Amino acid sequence: MSKSHDQVLRMLAMVPYLQSNDGVPVNELARELGVPAKQIRDDLLLLMMTGTGEFGGDLIDVDTTALEDEGVIHLRDAEFMSRPLRITAQEGAALVVALRTLRASAGAAQDAIIDSTLAKIEVALGDSAHTPVDVVLDEVDPAIHQTVVQALAEGRRLALTYATASRDERTDREIDPRRVFTERGKLYLEAWCLKAEDLRFFRLDRVLAASPTGEPVEDHDAEPRDLGEGIFTVGSDTPYALVRLHPDAQWMTEYYPVDLVEQGADGIWTAKLYGADPGWLRRLLIRHAGSVEVLEPAELRDEVAETARAALAAYDG
Amino acid sequence: MNLIFLLLASTKYLTKAQIREAIGDYREATSDQSFDRMFERDKEELRELGITVEIGSHDPLFGDNEGYRIPRGTAELGDIELTREEAAVIGLATQVWQHSGLASGSGNALMKLKSVGVDVDTSVLRTAEPRLSTAEPAFDAVWDAATRRVPITFDYARPGQPASRRRLQPWGILSWRDRWYVAGHDLERDDTRVFRVSRIRGDVAADGAPGSYEIPEDTDLKQVARGLFPPPRDEPAVLRVRTGRAQSLRRAAESSTPRDDDTDELTIRYGSTWDLASEIASYGPDVVVVSPAELRDHVIAQLTRAASGELAPVKETTP
Repeated sequence: MSKSHDQVLRMLAMVPYLQSNDGVPVNELARELGVPAKQIRDDLLLLMMTGTGEFGGDLIDVDTTALEDEGVIHLRDAEFMSRPLRITAQEGAALVVALRTLRASAGAAQDAIIDSTLAKIEVALGDSAHTPVDVVLDEVDPAIHQTVVQALAEGRRLALTYATASRDERTDREIDPRRVFTERGKLYLEAWCLKAEDLRFFRLDRVLAASPTGEPVEDHDAEPRDLGEGIFTVGSDTPYALVRLHPDAQWMTEYYPVDLVEQGADGIWTAKLYGADPGWLRRLLIRHAGSVEVLEPAELRDEVAETARAALAAYDG
Repeated sequence: MNLIFLLLASTKYLTKAQIREAIGDYREATSDQSFDRMFERDKEELRELGITVEIGSHDPLFGDNEGYRIPRGTAELGDIELTREEAAVIGLATQVWQHSGLASGSGNALMKLKSVGVDVDTSVLRTAEPRLSTAEPAFDAVWDAATRRVPITFDYARPGQPASRRRLQPWGILSWRDRWYVAGHDLERDDTRVFRVSRIRGDVAADGAPGSYEIPEDTDLKQVARGLFPPPRDEPAVLRVRTGRAQSLRRAAESSTPRDDDTDELTIRYGSTWDLASEIASYGPDVVVVSPAELRDHVIAQLTRAASGELAPVKETTP
């Protein structure tokens, strides 16, 4: 959809809304529509030049004083459009796909309520509800998924058994759930960990067991992490490996945090591969050995080879 | 905009002459032909927005007095009854898209629902907060083509490989691990194919009119794209795993029996020998394969490559 299309669709949604919500702040409207406040102001200017024209009556009027002084919107002479038009195919598709995604992430704890919402929206949309878009999330244990989302919804503390990937350990702890979200299509829980006395992320497929302790969650003074950049960010002290990548392994540059250093004429790429933990990196490099060669750091290169030799010893004889 | 408002405001059919007189841009048209062109273009735009303009007349005896209107009854959104929780679900759903176009699409839908009296308070329901991102440059074009059934053509390349031209009738799109795929009928290969949207190079061009092909009935995107997902785990394997180690294998295991103080014996079902062998190898001496022999051989081969440290590629299945 072109930009002007988007603008027309937005203005059509706005006109009835502004009449039933007289005096709504520009910033609030911008947030609800997912556009900058400047865009809303531009839309309003354009609206003032439209209306039913000279034939049927007046142009739409916006109270510019209130807009400039208080940042709120009063719309007049738009009574001819007091009800919104039907939800368009594009708007409906965006909403239906979002609802399907919500359903997949919320788990069994809430699928009844999400299903009934979807059903009512599909009736309102008619044919355009059949959007050929699927969102598939990585599978997690349905019982654990349900327990976690339910605890989040009801504000209950959980006892969690968790397998950490970095140190390859199993740990027990109590946590207060803060939010459940997706990152790269995987479900995560952000929670206050009573052991660490800090917020922690837990990947739901690594939760081995979860059960309510019977206590409610407590308030903890902690800002949730901004997830705009994703949960893994590369810093100056992030563990890394400088590697040569055979074409068979170049897909890794699309999957992992990587700085591409050089694309050699022989088809071999050189890249810097980052990991949250050296143990995780070592396992990744053994897993793809043959199509990935470690150049640096030397300790990691040696560690990969030594670990492999130690493992091979078990198969001797 | 003016045309929409004018037609909405009028309960009567408006003749072309009345419409021309009412709208500034039309009045300024220098000739009948140029007005006709503008009027047709605007009507087409309304159609694309999903707004139907009805042609008719109030007085059938005077057929030449034909006029235009937007039938309010079918054009307007009807009332919708939602519970507080259902309204909250919709409010939360509009926060899913990280993409501007689709975020505003679902935002518009929410605004329309609020205008017909749906009261949205997202604080009544706490649930998961999934996010859908669409970083792929070709995403908008592919989404548009798939939702409107437009055949498309584009250049496609895996990393490090030359691009080839593809012609596709999209059946649908799918998000898996937060990456978008488009599935459909590949006209060059005359077969069903799945493409990663991020691997589309350059522009996506329309290769036909919207709705110019049919999607086979009962198309299940997940089935079409099953090659993307891990194969079903049917084959049994027996492993010896050091106590407390190899958590990812333990999670997937069917059973775990302590063998001695330091080792457990795990039974695990697997679908891909390659995937399981490389996962086992990654744990080094913490895991040893007991059976089957084929899996054991794969693990030994992978460990041998890791011990040598040099590039010695074998054909690896790309995810």
